[in-house]
Amino acid sequence: MDFSFTEKEEAFRQEFRIWLENNLPDGWLDGKRDIPEDKEQYSEFLRNWQRKLYEGGWAAIAWPKKYGGREASLIEEIIYQQEMVRVKAPPLVNYVGIHMVGPTLMQIGTEEQKEAYIQKILTGEEVWCQGYSEPNAGSDLTAIQTSAVRDGDRWKINGQKVWTSFGHLADRCFLLARTSRGEKKHKGITVFLLDMNQPGVETRPIIQMDGKHDFNEVYLEDAIAYDADIVGEVDEGWRVMIALLMHERSGIGAQVFTLEQQFEDLVVLAKEVQEDGQPLIQNPFTRKTMVDLYTRSRGSLLNYYRNLTKTLKNGQPSAEGSMDKLIVSELTKELFSQSLSMQGHQGVLWKEDAIFGDSYWQDNFLYSFGMTIGGGTSEVQKNTIGERILGLPKDLGR
Amino acid sequence: MDFSLSEEQEMFRGYVNKYLNNMGHTKTAREFIKGDTESYETIVSGLAELGCTSINISEEYGGMELGALDLVPVLEELGRSVLPGLYLETNSFAVPVLEKFGSEYQKQKYLPAIAEGSQTFSIAWLEPGGSYQPAGIQMTASLEGDFIRLHGTKTLVPDAELANSLILPVRTGGGKGEGGISLVIVDMADLNITMLKQKNIDDSRHLAEITFDNVEISQEQVIGSLHKGWDILQEGLLAINAALASVMVGGMEAIVGMAAEYAKIREQFGQPIGRFQAVKHKIVDMKVDLEMARSLAYYANWALENESEDQVQAIICARLFAAEAYNKAAANNIQIHGGIGFTEEIDCHLYVKRARFYEHYLGSTQSYYEKAAAALGWCEPEKVEQF
Ligand SMILES: Cc1cc2nc3c(=O)[nH]c(=O)nc-3n(C[C@H](O)[C@H](O)[C@H](O)COP(=O)(O)OP(=O)(O)OC[C@H]3O[C@@H](n4cnc5c(N)ncnc54)[C@H](O)[C@@H]3O)c2cc1C
Repeated sequence: MDFSFTEKEEAFRQEFRIWLENNLPDGWLDGKRDIPEDKEQYSEFLRNWQRKLYEGGWAAIAWPKKYGGREASLIEEIIYQQEMVRVKAPPLVNYVGIHMVGPTLMQIGTEEQKEAYIQKILTGEEVWCQGYSEPNAGSDLTAIQTSAVRDGDRWKINGQKVWTSFGHLADRCFLLARTSRGEKKHKGITVFLLDMNQPGVETRPIIQMDGKHDFNEVYLEDAIAYDADIVGEVDEGWRVMIALLMHERSGIGAQVFTLEQQFEDLVVLAKEVQEDGQPLIQNPFTRKTMVDLYTRSRGSLLNYYRNLTKTLKNGQPSAEGSMDKLIVSELTKELFSQSLSMQGHQGVLWKEDAIFGDSYWQDNFLYSFGMTIGGGTSEVQKNTIGERILGLPKDLGR
Repeated sequence: MDFSLSEEQEMFRGYVNKYLNNMGHTKTAREFIKGDTESYETIVSGLAELGCTSINISEEYGGMELGALDLVPVLEELGRSVLPGLYLETNSFAVPVLEKFGSEYQKQKYLPAIAEGSQTFSIAWLEPGGSYQPAGIQMTASLEGDFIRLHGTKTLVPDAELANSLILPVRTGGGKGEGGISLVIVDMADLNITMLKQKNIDDSRHLAEITFDNVEISQEQVIGSLHKGWDILQEGLLAINAALASVMVGGMEAIVGMAAEYAKIREQFGQPIGRFQAVKHKIVDMKVDLEMARSLAYYANWALENESEDQVQAIICARLFAAEAYNKAAANNIQIHGGIGFTEEIDCHLYVKRARFYEHYLGSTQSYYEKAAAALGWCEPEKVEQF
């Protein structure tokens, strides 16, 4: 057992830390972390950040050198996430491109696809989104109804996608569509690399419960894709999806490290909030809650490290990732729920009227509800853990 | 970065696991409950032969001189089989305390014997109506020349009849505070004491009330300095709590395995019950708690072995989490088994009872929450004393 990082890994951390300190937007490190709300400015802000990372050579560190990456090890990716979390860096608008689409294309894309897309993902020139969920297909993606019908060397795509994160900013979509219907539900689905900037694609905003607009509805009406835009084989998109998910290897880590930091913030809050002229942390009930949250957020971090060790040894991630996802998302939700409770009735005050932390607690409280839904609901994670780790019988309908 | 037990540690787990399974897994506990200690005695010497009792004893005294983490596989396995006996108290309390604070005389006298499996310790802390706080220690120990005269009663002493010696905190100085408490070793063979068996819900651990009526022991039996026993006790507690977390992880491991296996074979409504999510998700919750508890316990033992800065909170939190999760999982396991889970015949109840035994063992849950908060710098340590 060894929790230390090698000298090389520490040097890597130092290098990235210094780069971040020199390149974060002005005032960011001093706590001026405002991201513009206006759609155009918001998009520009995030793209600028993405471009800056690219220019510094820090956009896609795990990629092979020949595609402009650093061939970073998994541990280096973890360190990278830790450093990003440490400075509360702005979100990566092209997360999907860099962590999912890019590596998948490198693995199974055609030479033309690599040529056409990979560089633009790296530079942030083209932003990607994921088009899986539909009004009638969420947890069960085999139920998708969006259809793609061949028309010469073209495909005509019709249907509706929903909850498409960053769809309004995206240039391209990694899209699931049904190309045939047979015995097996997983068969007959195909992955297309869809151009979002065409007449057949219409993106409409969906406002979330936190008042923000990150996800969208996408209407597809005779949207066009070509044979050359198909990833893998026609009707074999399910395999492509599995390959794609295997590449998403450090996202949970970022959430785990974020939770660690949010807990530290909660301690500060518990000292800041007063109850009868005393800091709340003086109340033994509060302390018990805090020790409990501390224990479980430490547990989630340590469990993540243990699973990471397994991944390092086996060379690939296993179903344990579902456990990390379940634990960290549920715990984050609980932490923010507590943070509001701790503020008493004034905990309901929002935005400019919030008493503590510029509405950080209220905003994250609201945002946290999406965490146990997006990327697979907690119930679905539990099915996966039960079936793949414990070997329990498969869910009805599967 | 490598957060896992080493190959050697896992290999050692394999030996212990195989040995205990060959001995019938929970059969030893069941026979012990019925008063038949034969299989228990076989296991005590069997474990010693495997080397379990000498792991953390220094080479000088006949041990392997390994650390807290090397005990983890053994502790988990013992927990898995709800093994009776005093391995935990002996190897994870007496050994670290003697190694660090024991006199040369005490080390010579006890450590080699522990290593070869012929010496066990129990802890006699609580007194009737008392608590785990300093004020709860009222048993008097008057100094008379080279002797100490013990007078008073200790209660809920685990497995005293299996122990060769007891470690007990006693009052050598007046008052109610930490000062004036000494930690002494009493050898059972030498003494004329009255032992009253107390019925334990977990009959795989025997409890007794022991009355010392002016019992004389040599001053050589004091561990560390006179009147300074409280701090030694606290260090010993860290060691045993880290170990206890691993024992409880072992228990949970057995429970999750039982529940998952049963859910695969038991059919109702034409389905294995494990297909019903009310059952499946319950078992998953147990599994998630188990893995969290294991991660916390590994880290606690790592922190102990490396004396890391956060060892106090790491150990206490591991213990708190494991105790709560163990009790919850043990209860759910019965529910998942239905009617048969309520019977004596099935092992479910053994774990419920053992989990309950550990819940407040060597310190109440509430006091540990406060101690963790103090270690994290959220309250003054002296405030903890109120609980
Ligand atoms: C913040 C956020 C971002 C998102 N971004 C994207 C995106 O970019 N692209 C995209 O395609 N999608 C995205 N999604 C959609 C997300 O993947 C789906 O919401 C999710 O998979 C659940 O599907 P659903 O909403 O249809 O709920 P449903 O599947 O209808 O689920 C409703 C309820 O039923 C439960 N349930 C469903 N099936 C089972 C089962 N087998 N066993 C037990 N319970 C079950 C669920 O757990 C849930 O509680 C995003 C969602 C959120 C919240």
